[in-house]
Amino acid sequence: MFEQRFHLIHHNSFFHILISLIAGIYFVFLGTIIACLLTATSLNEFINNIKSPEILSSIIISLETSIAVVILALIFGIPVAYLLATRRFKGKIILDTLIDLPIISPPLVCGLAILIAFGGQGLYSQFDVIFTIKGIIIAQLFVASPFLIRSARIAFESIDQDILTAARTLGASEFYTFRNVSLPLARNGIISGIIMTWARALGEFGATAMVAGCIPYKTETMTIGIYMHALSGNLDASVALSLLLIVSAFATLIVFKYFGRYNDSIK
Amino acid sequence: MIQLNDICKSFKEKEVLRSLNLNVKKGEMFVLLGSSGCGKTTTLSIIAGLIREDKGDIYVDGSRINDIPPHKRGIGFVFQNYALFPHLNIYENIEFGLKARHKQRNNRNEVKRALELVGLDGFDNKNPMKLSGGEQQRVALARALVTEPECILMDEPLSNLDAMVRERLRHEMKQLQKDVGLTTIYVTHDQVEAMMLGDRIAVLNNGQNEEVGTPEKIFYKPQREFVARFIGMKNIFNGKITTLDEEGGVMQISTENFELTAVLIPSTEGTHVKACVRPEEIILMKSDQKTSARNEIAGRIITIFPNGPLMRVLVDVGEDEISVDITRLATRDLGLKKGDKVILKFKATSVHVIM
Repeated sequence: MFEQRFHLIHHNSFFHILISLIAGIYFVFLGTIIACLLTATSLNEFINNIKSPEILSSIIISLETSIAVVILALIFGIPVAYLLATRRFKGKIILDTLIDLPIISPPLVCGLAILIAFGGQGLYSQFDVIFTIKGIIIAQLFVASPFLIRSARIAFESIDQDILTAARTLGASEFYTFRNVSLPLARNGIISGIIMTWARALGEFGATAMVAGCIPYKTETMTIGIYMHALSGNLDASVALSLLLIVSAFATLIVFKYFGRYNDSIK
Repeated sequence: MIQLNDICKSFKEKEVLRSLNLNVKKGEMFVLLGSSGCGKTTTLSIIAGLIREDKGDIYVDGSRINDIPPHKRGIGFVFQNYALFPHLNIYENIEFGLKARHKQRNNRNEVKRALELVGLDGFDNKNPMKLSGGEQQRVALARALVTEPECILMDEPLSNLDAMVRERLRHEMKQLQKDVGLTTIYVTHDQVEAMMLGDRIAVLNNGQNEEVGTPEKIFYKPQREFVARFIGMKNIFNGKITTLDEEGGVMQISTENFELTAVLIPSTEGTHVKACVRPEEIILMKSDQKTSARNEIAGRIITIFPNGPLMRVLVDVGEDEISVDITRLATRDLGLKKGDKVILKFKATSVHVIM
């Protein structure tokens, strides 16, 4: 619809040239920087680096933790999103703000908060998560799960109320309606949320570093690996890990856009 | 069958229903008629259990259902926007209610029968979003009917359809409702729809039930001034009964500006009444011609404007105005224009008296 309308506009005005020029500069800026990373290593170098045990270990740790985070985010996030989308209660705005806080706050601050809560004299000190894989998962969950909740909540909220009402009058309990109407209709929003949460968990650095430290083979994730190798002068290893992350981010975005578009076509 | 006693409901500060009472009989098509904001939809939502009443009781077949959740009330609902499940095909949409109620019967036959009932056999695998509005509403109807509800509530189900489809579907729905014998409460703001569909009509105003009756009674013999105005009785005059002619079966009513002759009703002289005459019951002529009409009022045309398929002529008769509906052709043949002197005639039986 929009595209059709824009075709009617003449593309030779001064304004059009101006915005095209500015956009051009911006995309050159983005594109060249990414191209620099892509050309910073050769294929052989890349494969050799990826094969090194330390890097392999960091890849495995990253995958394990980010997948665990997605599962935990689903277990907690879907009920939270559904609750916020369907109920009205006092103090809802406070809970709402609480969910947004990890998105807005610097990850280092989140990490510090977790460190204090789980550290020596902290509220949860008995759980012993500092400098462990569990710590990584907690840090990533804290920072990344709000993305799933937000996305799922919007998806639940955008379901036509009459459709849910119809289900109830047809004899469906609230749970049956949730399971057979709300969840399927919110599917794309939830999948988008999973992808965002996963990507955020995979890319998490600040909070993870604060909570789990940077212990090779133990708590070294891909992002922490990039930082450590760059500091120690092994730039090729950093580049290899970065390339992996960028390629997976790119793939994620394509999937994400696909579901986004699919979402629109339903409406 | 369905009984509402003193139902009250407020949203925040706004009182939507004020002591609403209704009594719907088994098997009838009961129409709730009213303008927007009169509480029609709220009433349906309360019957279905979708919102909770502040006060009052709801009975179905004599048992109080206030505390029964919506999915256990067995009350079907049909929405203005159809509300089909977009992620299910037609078959699955209709089967939904059967599955939700854990019925262990042969669903295929029931769904097939429901689809045949609404004239959509063979639509099983279609996507509901690809159907026309009329077809979607048929599916919604089949989806509600297949669960064999105690009664079915319809909230302006035809309002989103274009005029042609609406008229056809209205006809079919009435027929279907009669054939199945299903108790139905039908909400609309459309008088024509109410008149065509309703076995009985309740006119709601400001959260209260103004009047209940057959379409005949509501449209031709309303007992309340609000109802008379709502259904378009333009000419309503305050008057007083002056003489009762028992032998002739008529009575005289005197308004501020003219005398009227109406059919005798049990009353006493001196009673204050409202006399109503429908605009289409009045004969308009330029010169006095003999007719059997008992009432005759002279006046002058104020304005003429189109009113649907007819022309409405507004006539100044002293302090009052009288609206007359005549055909477009008659307006032209009589050469009517603003300022013309005319004579209005109507029968004694055309005068409806509200006590």
